[in-house]
Amino acid sequence: MKPVLLIAINFVREQRWPIFVLLLWVLLLAFLGLVTDIRREREDLLFVFKQVAIYVVAFSIFFGGSAIYNERRSRRILGVLSKAVGRQRYLSGLVLGVTMAGAIYCFALGITGSWTLGEAGFPVSQIWYLMLCLVAACTLAGTVALTFSTFLNPFLAAGATAAVLLGLPALVGRALGPQWEYVIPVWPLAAKVVQASFDSPGGAAWFPLGLAAVETLAFWLLAARIFSYVDIAVAVE
Amino acid sequence: MGSVLEFESVTKEYRSFPARRHLRALDCFTLNVEAGEILGFLGPNGAGKSTAIHLAMGFMRPTSGSGRLLGERFGHAPTRRRVGFLAENVALYHRRAERLVRFYGALNGMRGSHLERRARQVLEMVGLQGDLNRNVGKFSRGMLQRVGLAEAMVNDPELLILDEPTSALDPLARVTVRELLLNARSAGKTIFLSSHLLSEVELVCDRVAVLHRGQLVRMGRTADLLQASAQTQIVARGITTAFLDGAVARDGIVSFSIPANQQRATMERVWSMGGEIVSVNPMRRSLEEVFLEVTAAPQSSDSEGVE
Repeated sequence: MKPVLLIAINFVREQRWPIFVLLLWVLLLAFLGLVTDIRREREDLLFVFKQVAIYVVAFSIFFGGSAIYNERRSRRILGVLSKAVGRQRYLSGLVLGVTMAGAIYCFALGITGSWTLGEAGFPVSQIWYLMLCLVAACTLAGTVALTFSTFLNPFLAAGATAAVLLGLPALVGRALGPQWEYVIPVWPLAAKVVQASFDSPGGAAWFPLGLAAVETLAFWLLAARIFSYVDIAVAVE
Repeated sequence: MGSVLEFESVTKEYRSFPARRHLRALDCFTLNVEAGEILGFLGPNGAGKSTAIHLAMGFMRPTSGSGRLLGERFGHAPTRRRVGFLAENVALYHRRAERLVRFYGALNGMRGSHLERRARQVLEMVGLQGDLNRNVGKFSRGMLQRVGLAEAMVNDPELLILDEPTSALDPLARVTVRELLLNARSAGKTIFLSSHLLSEVELVCDRVAVLHRGQLVRMGRTADLLQASAQTQIVARGITTAFLDGAVARDGIVSFSIPANQQRATMERVWSMGGEIVSVNPMRRSLEEVFLEVTAAPQSSDSEGVE
C-alpha cells in the first residue's frame, strides 16, 4: 500500500502548479466574499461557487489523461516501474493521486464555500455532501481519462473521456429512459452541485456515489488490463 | 553458479502504425548471465541492447520467446526488489538528491532509519556526499547519472542492470564507478553492463556479449576474446628489416609479428644472425578490434533506431 501512496503523493507534487492555479479560483471566491456586499450579491456568489466547483472535474480529466503520457515522455516511468511496483499498483497510485488533487481542491472549496455562502445566508449543511459528490465525480472522470490514456495521446484521451462521460449517458438516457443517465454518473454527480438550491435543504442521495465508486474500480481494472500490454519504454512521440 | 538473467530465443518486433512496418529489434536472442560476474553487453547503435534490457525489466513484452530474471519470468514485479536498474538517459523527479533516493528505496519496500542510512551511503559511494540536499534539477548530466546509479543501488540489489552507466561521466567519476562495480562483484553481486565505452568494458568485465542486428554474434570471456590472436610480436636488435617482410625498424630496434607457432624457430634465426631478442609478446587485440570485426557488416535499415 505504501508504494501506491508514494506514487499518489508524487503525482500531486508533480501537478502542484495546476493545482495551485485551480486554488486561485477558490481564492477568487474568498476574495468576492471579502470585498462584496455578500447579502446583496448572494445569487452572483452562488453562481461563482457552482462555476468554480465544476472546473475541478475538467481538471481531473486533464490530470488523468496526461499522467501516463507525461511520465512516459519524460521517461521517469522507467525509474518507478524498475522497482517492485507492478503496473496495476502504479495505476492505483495515479488514480489515488487524481483523487487527492480533486480532494485538496474540494476541501478548500468546501471551507471557502461554507464561509462565503454561510455569510450570504444560505444554509450550508449540505456543502460537504456536495463536495463528496464532486470528489467522486473527479475520481471517476480521472480514471476514465486514465483508461483512455493507456493507449491514446492526452488530447484524444480527453475527447474520448468527454464522449463517454457526457455523450454515452445522454444517448442511453434518450434511448432507455432518464434513469439511465446514471450509467456513468459523473454528470449526475456534478449536476448535484450545479443544481443545488441552498435555500431548500435537499436529501443526500448515496446511490450515484456508490455507483461512481464501483465504476472507478471497473475502469481501473480495465486500465490495468490494457496497460499491462503497453510497451512503456517505446517513445510516446 | 546459476543464471540470474536468461533470455531464451527472445524475438522482439516493433510494429509501426499505420504503415504496418515491422522492425525486428531482437531476433532469437539467447543469453545467460551467471551469478557473480560482470557481463559486458556491447553492440552498435540500434543493435537491440536497450530493447533486451527493457524486456528483462518488464517494460515491454517479447514478441516470442521468454526469459527469466532471478528465476522469475520477466515482468514479475516483486523480483525487481532484488534488482537495480539504471536507464540510458536518466530521468529523475526534481527534488533533493537524498529525498529522491529515499523515494526510490521506499518504492522497493525499504523503510525508516535503514533507508535513510542507505540513501546517504550510496550517494557518498558515487561521490555526491556534498550534494545530498541539492535539487537534482540543478545537477549536470554526469551528476544525474551518479544519482541514477545511487538510486539503482539503494536496495543493495543482487543484480545490477546498467545501460551506459558512465557515458556522461568525467574520467575521475568513471574511475569511481569502475571501482564501485568491481567492489559490487567482490561482494557477490552480478552486473549486466551495456556500454559503448569499450575500454571500460575491457577493464571490468569477466565476459562480453556482442549484439548485432538483434542477434548475439560473439560471446566469451574477455581475456579469451582479447588473446584470440595467434600472433606473437618480437622486438630484436642487431638485425635489419630485411630479416622478415613487414618488419619495422626504429632507432636500431626491429619489430615484427609472426605466427605463434613459428616463435621458437624465428628466435633461433635471430640469434644465428648475431641478433639479440629484446622482447617477445603474444599479440593482444583490443576489444575495439574484436567489436569492429564482428560488427563490420553493414547495418540493415530494419534494425535502425530500435535501441
